[in-house]
Amino acid sequence: MSETPAFIEPPSLGVDRALTNAATLAAEGLSVRFSGLLAISDVTIRQARHEILGLIGPNGAGKTTLVNCLTGFQKPSEGRVMLGDEDTAGWSAARFRAHGIARTFQAGRLFKDMTVAENVEVTGVGLGLGLKAAREHAMAMLGWIGLADKARAKAGTLAYTDQRRLGIARALVLSPAFILLDEPAAGMSDAECEELMTLVSAIPKTFTSGVLLIEHNMRVVMGISHRVQVLDGGKTLAEGLPAEIQKHEAVMAAYLGMEA
Amino acid sequence: MRDFLIRHQTPALLVAGLVVVTVLGVLTGNETVQVTLTEMFIRLVVVVGLWVFIGNSGIISFGHIGFMGVGAYAAAWASAEPGFKQIMLSGLPVFLQENQYPFAFAIIGATLLPALVALLLGIALMRLAGTAASIATFAVLMIVNSVYANWDSVTAGSSSIIGIPTVVGPWVAVGFAAGAVVTAYLFQVSRLGLMLRASRDDEVAARASAVEVKRMRLVAFVLSAAIAGAGGGLYAQFLGILTIDPFYLGLTFITLAMLVVGGMSSLSGAVAGVFAVTIIVELLRIAERGVSLGALDLGLPLGSQEIGLGVLMALILIFRPNGLSNGRELVWPGAAPAAKAPAGRTLSPELTGDAAPSP
Repeated sequence: MSETPAFIEPPSLGVDRALTNAATLAAEGLSVRFSGLLAISDVTIRQARHEILGLIGPNGAGKTTLVNCLTGFQKPSEGRVMLGDEDTAGWSAARFRAHGIARTFQAGRLFKDMTVAENVEVTGVGLGLGLKAAREHAMAMLGWIGLADKARAKAGTLAYTDQRRLGIARALVLSPAFILLDEPAAGMSDAECEELMTLVSAIPKTFTSGVLLIEHNMRVVMGISHRVQVLDGGKTLAEGLPAEIQKHEAVMAAYLGMEA
Repeated sequence: MRDFLIRHQTPALLVAGLVVVTVLGVLTGNETVQVTLTEMFIRLVVVVGLWVFIGNSGIISFGHIGFMGVGAYAAAWASAEPGFKQIMLSGLPVFLQENQYPFAFAIIGATLLPALVALLLGIALMRLAGTAASIATFAVLMIVNSVYANWDSVTAGSSSIIGIPTVVGPWVAVGFAAGAVVTAYLFQVSRLGLMLRASRDDEVAARASAVEVKRMRLVAFVLSAAIAGAGGGLYAQFLGILTIDPFYLGLTFITLAMLVVGGMSSLSGAVAGVFAVTIIVELLRIAERGVSLGALDLGLPLGSQEIGLGVLMALILIFRPNGLSNGRELVWPGAAPAAKAPAGRTLSPELTGDAAPSP
């Protein structure tokens, strides 16, 4: 492995292939109903490339449902998800990824019985790379994220924070236009959160991706987000710069107040 | 050459093992041993075919013995004596009725027809999630059985098709077994195999990794039906006489038992399971026959075979749930690629499941 300092050089892709030219990922008037229960109602969100957008809200606010809609895992009951000018209605989750919309999962969801390297290779192969190119790209990604020495270990044997990092590496294969991180800091210590913040803030520059960051840890969200949107009860409660949100009264009442 | 063999040592070792067993079996000159070996290799073809789907997708299929039956009948239609076909199988197309095709042609038919059936059924079946898909494959088995048992003009219904040339002996069977092993291995390490194994570990994450899971499952389903069908073709040209009865629950159970005993998640496990179960079944069969000591007949009661197999499966599930292979592939001791060995040793499968909290 080459000793490139982490987070400076983008991993060599070995291929020159843009998944999409779209500059924005947007949900317009999105509602999702689960047998009568409204999980989210009339939510509009707009994510630009190169931007870190924080998405916060109390448990049950509909954050994960929104992410599921934005990545093809949940069909909206009303409204639409637009990638640039394209309506994504009817796209499979795999097609979302093929068009450059990647995500991670709260539970990690690694391929536990496969090696660390294979976990990353799968995405490359899924995106159309040959085995050899996918393997080379996977090793570059692992080098970048600091897991190269564990490439041959089974993913299930990794330490918790390493599993989180592997999930992110897997999602960043071939520089997606957008990456949606679902509570990446959950269960991490303060020091580990610091590392994660460095890593996430490097993503827009290194991979030219927009980052949608769902997170409960306020220090992380407020520390690295360019903009923050607040969901409560399935609706958008507020939207603005981190400093504005921290002073927003309705937000403090609904959410931040509980933390104090 | 050496690097090539080390990289692909698993199929190389498995094939070498099969050849060694065949040579030893043929050297005994014992008819019974050779028949047993031939039968075992035919089952190996079927079980390896079954593994291509089950092992890589993680979805149990109860339908593959149906595909084996479809393959067996395809071979019989091609190779049975025209005289018999014209009288008993008058519903067959004329080109099949009037000609007797050679073994190679019969086997191609035995591979393609089940693949086609699997493709048509699979388009519907693969839309179902794991357990529902398994149950639906069981329906496939029943449908094949009832169609073939009743479609008198092409299958001779409940009577037998006779006059099929018996050209399959231990060498032909082991050739196909080796071919099945190599095909299954190539699929396992291919792009498709990698994507399918990912979906076995976590379907949702596989979809998020741009894997079209249903499509991958369909490809594996068709390939595995083709291999199982080839096994059926071998079976027809080994016995020379064919009815639909053997292609039902008994064989479905025994082939799945072979996979469970050997370990479903590795190709070496599938092969090991065929050997282990065949040995146990043969020993019990000998014990059932019993030995005579003067006036005394010592032997196990009939049915011990089935009970013995059930006990073996229960023991495996209790003490070694991942099968004899424990989910690993066969590698030459010490000659494993350097980087692979430590990974194997640090593995602690018991602990890994609890490392991350589930949602």
